[in-house]
Amino acid sequence: MQTEQFLREVTALPGLSGGEEAVARYIAGAFEPYCDEVRIDALNSVIARIRGRGPKVMLCAHLDEIGMMVAKIEDDGALRMRGIGGVDPRILPGMRVTVHGKERVLGVIGAKAPHLLSPSEREKNYAWDELYIDLGMSAERARETVRVGDCVSLEGGFTELMNGRFATKTADDRSCAAILLRTAELLQRMDTTADLYFVLSSQEEVSGYGAMTAGFGVDPDFCVVLDVTHAKTPGAPELEAFEIDSPTIARGPFIHPYLRQKLEDIAKEQRVAYQCEVVPRDTYTDMDGLETVRGGVPGVLLSLPVRYMHTSVETFDLSALNECARLLAAYCASVSGAWRDELWI
Amino acid sequence: MDLKQLCEIHAPSGNEKELRRLLAEEARAALGEENVRTDRMGNLLCSIRGQEAGKPHVCVSAHMDEVGFIVMGATEEGLLRFRPVGGIDPRVIVSKRVLVGEKRLPGVIGAIAIHLQTREDMDRVPDYDHLYIDIGAKNKQEALEQCPPASVACFDAPYTLFGDGFVCAKALDDRVGCYNLLRLMRESYPGDVTLAFVTREEVGLRGSAGAAYALQPEITVNLEGTAANDLGCGETQTQVCAAGAGVAVSFMDNSSIYQRRLYQKMMRLADRNAIAHQVKRGVTAVNDAANYQRAAGGARAITLSVPCRYIHSGASVCCLNDVEAQYALTRAFLQNV
Repeated sequence: MQTEQFLREVTALPGLSGGEEAVARYIAGAFEPYCDEVRIDALNSVIARIRGRGPKVMLCAHLDEIGMMVAKIEDDGALRMRGIGGVDPRILPGMRVTVHGKERVLGVIGAKAPHLLSPSEREKNYAWDELYIDLGMSAERARETVRVGDCVSLEGGFTELMNGRFATKTADDRSCAAILLRTAELLQRMDTTADLYFVLSSQEEVSGYGAMTAGFGVDPDFCVVLDVTHAKTPGAPELEAFEIDSPTIARGPFIHPYLRQKLEDIAKEQRVAYQCEVVPRDTYTDMDGLETVRGGVPGVLLSLPVRYMHTSVETFDLSALNECARLLAAYCASVSGAWRDELWI
Repeated sequence: MDLKQLCEIHAPSGNEKELRRLLAEEARAALGEENVRTDRMGNLLCSIRGQEAGKPHVCVSAHMDEVGFIVMGATEEGLLRFRPVGGIDPRVIVSKRVLVGEKRLPGVIGAIAIHLQTREDMDRVPDYDHLYIDIGAKNKQEALEQCPPASVACFDAPYTLFGDGFVCAKALDDRVGCYNLLRLMRESYPGDVTLAFVTREEVGLRGSAGAAYALQPEITVNLEGTAANDLGCGETQTQVCAAGAGVAVSFMDNSSIYQRRLYQKMMRLADRNAIAHQVKRGVTAVNDAANYQRAAGGARAITLSVPCRYIHSGASVCCLNDVEAQYALTRAFLQNV
């Protein structure tokens, strides 16, 4: 499938952490043509396999997304809500959302009108309790339609900007799901010995449990985790934000040095431009949980820089995405039994 | 044109050209070429000759323009620097989509990711010095080639019906008024009526100043959208008016104290004709009625508003029954003047 078409469709599907069924089914279907087996596990992670002699390599990107949950229905029909994952309340005023009640309904996030705020209130961002979802319904009708605990997903929209850049909700981490799909497609025409497991993990935004449980089931020799990292924007700290137009390869104590060197060597050989991302401790990706599953899963972290992470306008560069897939496919094709033996030499 | 088509047109203050052209086409078809003119301030003035002599000349006015953005420059990285045109709280534009310039180039307004924010960033409202439109340009030159300074942008927001008879769209303020002027155009009235579609309300009531002086009507009914603030606050004393409770009749706002008799007449008319209405309780906002009231030797004026939640955002919300009520009350007034 065309990468752009896949992205357009997959970013439109809801998949809040813990409720990834719809997006999992869609992604499983997309991998079907390229894989020998595809299944969805007990925690909604998709596991798609291209069989090989070995070693066993797990390629992992998460399929869940941040969102909200209805916490209370007020007597005027306004809904109070809480975040699932790291939702920035600054993005919410004036945002359209989908409330997944008995039926899917549109909601608009409101707050007290600015001209009615005191001067000191006007200088502060709205807090969660000052925000609400407007369903355009009375309290009675709202209670018929929605219950406390129902999920709320952010507004969609897949916007093509200039220079092959795209702004969408859930580029974190559906852009990396697109990289895995493209990699599986590229591998159809390449010789591989590795036993490859493409894992689209659930619950990354709240924990990483999806990758850990899927990792237990797969029991891989190595892993490659794909996630988004921060692309430069004004005000972003210099050491934690990267150019938008090429992937980053992480270095740090959670990253296996041999496997990382291999990845960098292959990037150079394939002439894939990349940036080095130094991560001194936790990576805040599936890597953190996955690395210590069973007896340990050494691995590398390959990231796509995204602007405005955890907003509904996460912006990425399609050519950087395609380069990630080209690099990953070459990496998968290079994996050999020797790597297992040389890990700690 | 229906309300959806009207809301989807881009007309930030000073850029009403496309909307004026479409409205003029419709007005000429309805009233004839000779009864439609554009004045020196870009206002579109449409005359309907009264059927009886001795009735006062009434102007019904609505503004064509909407709040939007204007490009000021670009950063070295190719992000557009901009300012609002009209009053837009920067809190409602973070993580939103816009369309820039005549080519309607898509852009997004991002903000620094939550992971990278300092404690201060979390509290502080991002101001216009720290917000940018990202069109995907790679550098300053490319950004300014595509969107030179003074290019204007609008919210990229669809018109969506939702809930029980509500609509969510950009520019409800004041396309609801424009919509009702178009509907009023299809009838005749006892007295002379001028329907005025005016420019640049959102940047200081500029267009109506010219229209009010040129027309000098005896009575003006100003059709507006006004902030409601009726939900989610718990306290009722800060409510201005409520969406779904009918057309809001103003006795006073921040730019006019309306003539008491005219206010009372509107309330009585609404009662008598069973038109859903409410008093605009909060004294908020300024509008074109001020110019009509005080142009030349002065005249009577009143404002009838559709309550709008989240006004001046890409997701303003109003109730279609209130739009209907604004029309019904204005029509009743014109027939009983």
